[in-house]
Amino acid sequence: MSLKSYSRARAVHVMLVYTGGCNGCDIEIVNCIFSPKYDAEQYKVFLTWNPREADVLVVTGPVTKHNEKPLIEIYNAIPEPKAVIAAGACALMGGVYKNIHGDIPSEEIAGPVDNIIPVDAKVPGCAVRPEDILSGVVAALPLLLDAK
Amino acid sequence: MNKDNKITDRKVIETEVTMGTVHSAAIEPYRVRLFVEDEMVRDAEITIGINHRGVERIMEGLPVEKANSLTEKICGICSNSHIWNSCLVAEKAIGIDVPERAQYIRVIMEELERLHSHMLYLAHGNEVLGHETFAMRLFYIRETVMELLRMIGGNRVQYGASIIGGVRPRCELDEMRIQKIREGMDLTEEKITEFAERFVSDPMIMSRITGVGTLTQKMAIRLDASGPTLRSTGVEKDLRTVMEAYDPFEFDVITQDDGDVKSNLLVRVFEIFEAIKIIRQALNNLPDGKITNRSWEMQDAPITKSYIEVPRGTLYHSYALEDGRVRNSIVRTPSVANIGAMQYAAVGHHITDAQLAIVQCDPCFTCTDRAIQIIKI
Repeated sequence: MSLKSYSRARAVHVMLVYTGGCNGCDIEIVNCIFSPKYDAEQYKVFLTWNPREADVLVVTGPVTKHNEKPLIEIYNAIPEPKAVIAAGACALMGGVYKNIHGDIPSEEIAGPVDNIIPVDAKVPGCAVRPEDILSGVVAALPLLLDAK
Repeated sequence: MNKDNKITDRKVIETEVTMGTVHSAAIEPYRVRLFVEDEMVRDAEITIGINHRGVERIMEGLPVEKANSLTEKICGICSNSHIWNSCLVAEKAIGIDVPERAQYIRVIMEELERLHSHMLYLAHGNEVLGHETFAMRLFYIRETVMELLRMIGGNRVQYGASIIGGVRPRCELDEMRIQKIREGMDLTEEKITEFAERFVSDPMIMSRITGVGTLTQKMAIRLDASGPTLRSTGVEKDLRTVMEAYDPFEFDVITQDDGDVKSNLLVRVFEIFEAIKIIRQALNNLPDGKITNRSWEMQDAPITKSYIEVPRGTLYHSYALEDGRVRNSIVRTPSVANIGAMQYAAVGHHITDAQLAIVQCDPCFTCTDRAIQIIKI
């Protein structure tokens, strides 16, 4: 392995962006990294709140109209190479909020995350289980390690 | 509004600091504008409404059972409270009797939710202070309660125990489950006592939270704050003493005197011990019988209201029934008034304490975003 991928594999920083869901997936992700029971810190995966030092971006919640511009600005502020993970039923297809009674689309939701920024890994669940988030982060890691 | 109630001098230079929509010290998106002079905060303004999803519009016209199940998705931390109150409205409107064993099980689920919500608040408060070790230890103690919720309800976060007429058949308590709940309560009580003794005897933490973000008793009553935010200023008012489901249980109402961050933290630590007391009383006296009442008929009903006490204050639901469907539903959460009161609590302190002063009321911004109509100012 080259020196760059050797050092990138030793410290992966994860940033969490929350775009208007119910808070359930959010708390499970903080649980997964902070709690000593699921303990992602032993694999050198850390939680940060600053986009300039992040490698992986985790997005939860259906994207509401007010949250669309901040999400695009945060995505542009993360330096290359980067990976995006969409976690939860709301981020994958809009959850229970996307449609009013069948086919009428709601006016508050700007669509699932796929319509706005490109997504690399998808994790289902309502709310997401902490074990599945670890599998999602591990599945997105080769994109970081094989980049030049 | 100046602290001395005098007209401000026109030559005073004020800077505006915005903690914007997505900020690194706040998990949920909201916006705070702080007007600062010489690093002391003179005025604060909080803006909400970024999480608006239109839940009341989706509920209009749904069948009653589906509408109850939808209110659970409003919030992920206080989900049992919303579905319990929504079922209470329908039972009050039609006149359905709930069996006694189901009432006891509903109270047990609500008190387990109060436990995990207060522990999450303590962990987040310690993280804002900068003390990561305490935050990690509290998340570990909280895992015991989450495993109990998964055993009874089926899921860790949104478990939906109540239905109209009682409790779901999966949430039946037999001997093995009762034994596990008792063991979990003993372990939680021992670990929280250890945490509280260490927390109170640390002089650095105590000096950072005493006297910070004070809200006076007169302002709290005038702004209609409720729940532990009101009880930490000295007013003894708890809606659980008049609720019908809590009649057979004995518990104390906890108050503190100062209204600052230390009083808010201590009120919630003592409420954890009271919740463990209520769960033990419920397990000792659990009556026999069925847990669901399926012999009722759907009728039309006018608008019915219901108020209950949830971990953050007073919750209000109301709707009308027409041909088995829901009409004109309104949901009002306690965080609407509590967040408004925090604009007055941050004034007069250092700017570095502003985030701590806003988070002290345990806000749940995602429960709160609804269209509000102002009738009288």
